[in-house]
Order: sequence, then structure tokens, then C-alpha cells
Amino acid sequence: MSTFLHNRAPSRPGKQLWWYGLAALPLFACTTAQAVPAYARQTGSACADCHAGSYGPGLTPYGMRFKMNGYTDTDGKGTKIPAAVQINGTRTVPATGKSSNLLSSADIYLAGRVSDQVGGFVKVSINNNGQDKFNTQLSDVDLRFVAKDLKLGGKEALVGVSVNNDPGFNDPINALPASMQNGPPTVSGSLLNPSSSNTLAHRVIGASVYALYDKNWYGELGTYNSLPTSMQYDLGYSLGGDPGKLSNTVYGRFAYMKELKRPHQFFSAGLVGLTTDRQLPRSGPSEHLTDLGYDVTYQFLGNRENIIQFAYVNIMERRRYATTPAGSLPGLFALPRGVVHDQTAQLTYVFKQTYGVIIAHMVSTGTHDIVRYVPYGQPETNSNSFTVFWTPFGKDDSFTSIANLRLAAEWFRFNKFNGSSTNIFGVPANGTGTNARDFNAFLLFASVAF
Amino acid sequence: MIESALRRCLRGTAMVGLFFGWMLASPFAHAGDASSGADVFKSECSECHSPKQGKNKKGPSLFGIVGRPAGTAPDYNYSDALKQARWTWTTDKLHWYLSQQAKKANPGTKMKYDGLDDSKQLDDLVTYLDTLH
Repeated sequence: MSTFLHNRAPSRPGKQLWWYGLAALPLFACTTAQAVPAYARQTGSACADCHAGSYGPGLTPYGMRFKMNGYTDTDGKGTKIPAAVQINGTRTVPATGKSSNLLSSADIYLAGRVSDQVGGFVKVSINNNGQDKFNTQLSDVDLRFVAKDLKLGGKEALVGVSVNNDPGFNDPINALPASMQNGPPTVSGSLLNPSSSNTLAHRVIGASVYALYDKNWYGELGTYNSLPTSMQYDLGYSLGGDPGKLSNTVYGRFAYMKELKRPHQFFSAGLVGLTTDRQLPRSGPSEHLTDLGYDVTYQFLGNRENIIQFAYVNIMERRRYATTPAGSLPGLFALPRGVVHDQTAQLTYVFKQTYGVIIAHMVSTGTHDIVRYVPYGQPETNSNSFTVFWTPFGKDDSFTSIANLRLAAEWFRFNKFNGSSTNIFGVPANGTGTNARDFNAFLLFASVAF
Repeated sequence: MIESALRRCLRGTAMVGLFFGWMLASPFAHAGDASSGADVFKSECSECHSPKQGKNKKGPSLFGIVGRPAGTAPDYNYSDALKQARWTWTTDKLHWYLSQQAKKANPGTKMKYDGLDDSKQLDDLVTYLDTLH
């Protein structure tokens, strides 16, 4: 996941450490568009049936069912080519520094059903590194086997297996950072936040068993392992972002979801957990990490003229560190344990499934630790985004229902970084310190998918 | 005198009863508002069915549904249950079918629908479906 901030984050003063925060660049996934017209061709459905804004990633309840059904639903008219392409262009106007125009990425999706029980989603991204050099990466993978239309105690049930490369990406509900691609920018973030440094996203492989009971109760249990560094490199990822060696990794998800008709609404409440022992670097000692989170979502769909979606997720990560390195002053050591929190609240309004507004508030906080989090001992990052978008197609009554264009403008604003709004890197006060708002940016996105 | 007044009263009651009985039994009993029905269609049906001619989604196109024999939309792969359902989709039949779980109305069908229990919305929906010609 490469963003404009990769290209402009200043080098940090003082001691460069390899662990949490200090080696991290401020990452954020800027309203990543995700569109798979191959699914529209396969099902005969319009983009707007599965996505409130006629463009991914946020799903309607119908889209969630399609995902839980293993991407296998069809209009029954034979085999369709399970491929789609998305091309993204970005204009970045940062608060400080030069503006840029980029053909930022081209995404190839191999996505669709293999049989009534087997389907999948594979995304290969060709990303522009900012100098018009392109890097090809294996991005999201979600391969599924599903047994549908089961009966359990007289109620409908569904059981599936998902093989994927990002814990939470396969989640059906619009809340977890991996599935919504909106993890808060962070210097200390949790494992479940793909914006964290040494993120698990795309560098692990795992499998989970999931079940949906009586349309409302969702449960999932799985495990992950990190890919060998040589394989990560072959898949297009730098070795510096290796998530380390993982062991005893367990991922769990439980959610209650309810779809209400007349008017059409949806709400959900869920819990998520991930625990692992990690060696980073791989030859080093092991640290123990446990993520526990909860999320709530609500959607008002009505007759789809006016759609409102809200999601809030709060993930807490408990850490038992492998080492307690010394600080810059004698007798000063890092704490042996710590806690971080990643929170995202997002409100979306869409008119006629064509014009939309997204407001997001993202906060990443953690235990005060003067050694791990220089210069102030605070890892807090606090940011907002405000996005407007236009998606003219992808509806049953539009020019085409199975391809789309998305034009978006986004204002991204940092209130705090490294726990401070001013002089965030602690440079001696001479008027040249970097402020959090220096990371602010105005971005224009154009995406086309077919 | 009293007897004739009683007879007139009974006749009047019978006429009123007959009128209301005719109202309930007639096609007007299902008369709804097609524009409201279009909204019901969008929230209840449009994910799986298109009102456009020849556009099948997860379910068949509902263009021309009223008057169409069950299981006969072109190029749609119906379940055996609906292929063997020997009925024609009249407004009454649609009213009956959509007022309950699809799997109860037609055991073995692929259609997953829990039924529309709001009679006003059902009337509106069927009236809207009747406009799709």
C-alpha cells in the first residue's frame, strides 16, 4: 500500500530504531477504490447492488451475502471471463511541497466463480513509485470454498473456508480496517491495522473457517503465517516491511448482523481478535501481541435514493515486548508492556447511488513510552478525511451497469502526529520544525473499472 | 307497515353487503400506487430482479411478468420447482406468492424471499409489476 506520504515523509532526527513507531512512515490508505466489474458480469447485477456508492469497497447487505457466498452467485448464463481491470490516477496537492499528477496504479483482478462452491478474488497491483517506475505486487487474495443452503436446527446455515493474505480483508461487514482499507495513519498501530509499519497485509497467508447461522450470526476462526522474506520480495514487497516470523497465531471474529425491511436497514455489532508470537527481526526474541476489538455499523438503504452508512471500530492491542531497550539517558529503559488503540469512525451519505460524501475520523493512540516513541513518548496520531465522489455509472438505469468511473476529491487533515500538533519530530525550536498539519493534503482521484 | 320497513332495511343491508363483497373480490381490491410500488421494488426486489426486458440477474427479468407463464423468461435457468409450477403470473397469483416465503409458495425454488407482509406495499408492488410491459 503506497501513498503520497511515502514520498515526502521527512527523515527522523535522533536515534533510528527498528521497532514500533520510530521506523514507521506515516501511512494511510487514502480512500482506496476497489471495483470488480467481473462480478457484475457474472451475476447480471449492477455495481450499485453490492456497493452503496456504486463502487467498492463498502458493501450493501446484498454485497455482504455475495462475499459470504464465496463470490459464486451467478445469473446462470454460463461461464464469464473472471477478470477485470481498474486504472487509477491521482493528483496530490500537499500542504507543503510540490504537487504531483500520477497514473498511480493499474489493478488487475482475477475474480469470480469456479463452481457453485468455489470462488475467489485475486488482485495484482501495478503501482507507480512516484518517479514513473512501476512495481508489480500481489495485493489482496481471498479464495473460498463454501457450502450453502445448509439447515441447522431448522435454520438456514452457510459454512465456508477462506484462504487469504490479510486478516480481516475477508470480513463481510464494512468495519474492519483491512476490509474497508481505512486504517488510521499511525506510528504505533495494531496488527489489524494495515496502515501499521511491518503490516501483516499481503505478507502473510492464512485460512479461516467461517459460518453464518440463521442469516444473523457470523463466526470465523483462522490462523496465519508470514510468508518467507524471499517470497515477499518475489511478490513485489520490500524486505524492510517484513512482519517477522509469526507463531501460535489465531484470528477470531464474531458478529451479529440484522437486515431490516420496510424501510430497508442493516445493523451489526461484532468482536474481533488476533493473537500471535512474533519475532521481528526473525532471528530475534519473540514478543507477544494480542488484538481485541469491537465494531458497530448501521446502514439506511430505503429505496436507495438516500443511503446513509456509519461504521465505528475500536481495536486494542496488548503487547509484551521482546526487549526493553535503553533510552538516551542513563537508567532509562523502554517499558516491557504496552497497549495501543486504533479507532476509525466513518459516516457516508450517498444520493441516488451516484453522489456521495464520506467523513472519517481516525485516531491511533498508545501507552506513553519515552524510549519507544521519540520525541515525546506519545504515539498519538489524529486525522480526518473529507471526501466527495461522483460515480455516474454502475446502476441498472445508467449507461452501463457493469463498468464504472469514480471521480473523487479528498481533503486529508492531520491534527496530531507523534502525540503533538507542532514540531512533531522534536527538532530544536528554530522555526523549521515540522507540524502535523504539514502532512495535510488535497487529493483528486480518478478511477475507471471495466 | 313495520314489516315492510324491516324488509327495506334488510334489502338495504344486503345491498351494502353485496357492494363491499364485490369491492373486496374485484381487481380493485389489489389496486395500489404504481409509483410507490416502484420504491417497494427498489428496496425489495431490485437486487435480484431487473425491470428491463431481457436483463436477468440472480433472478429473471420481471419485464412482462404479469400474464407470463411461470418459469418461461427467456435465457434464465429456472429451478425444476418453478419450471414445473403450472401457473401463470396474474396479479392475484403474484399477490399470493409474494405474501409468503417463496420456499413455502414453491418448495424447491431458488428464490430466497421472506415475503411482504405489508398489504399496502404488496398492493403497490403488484400494481407496479403490472406496468412492466
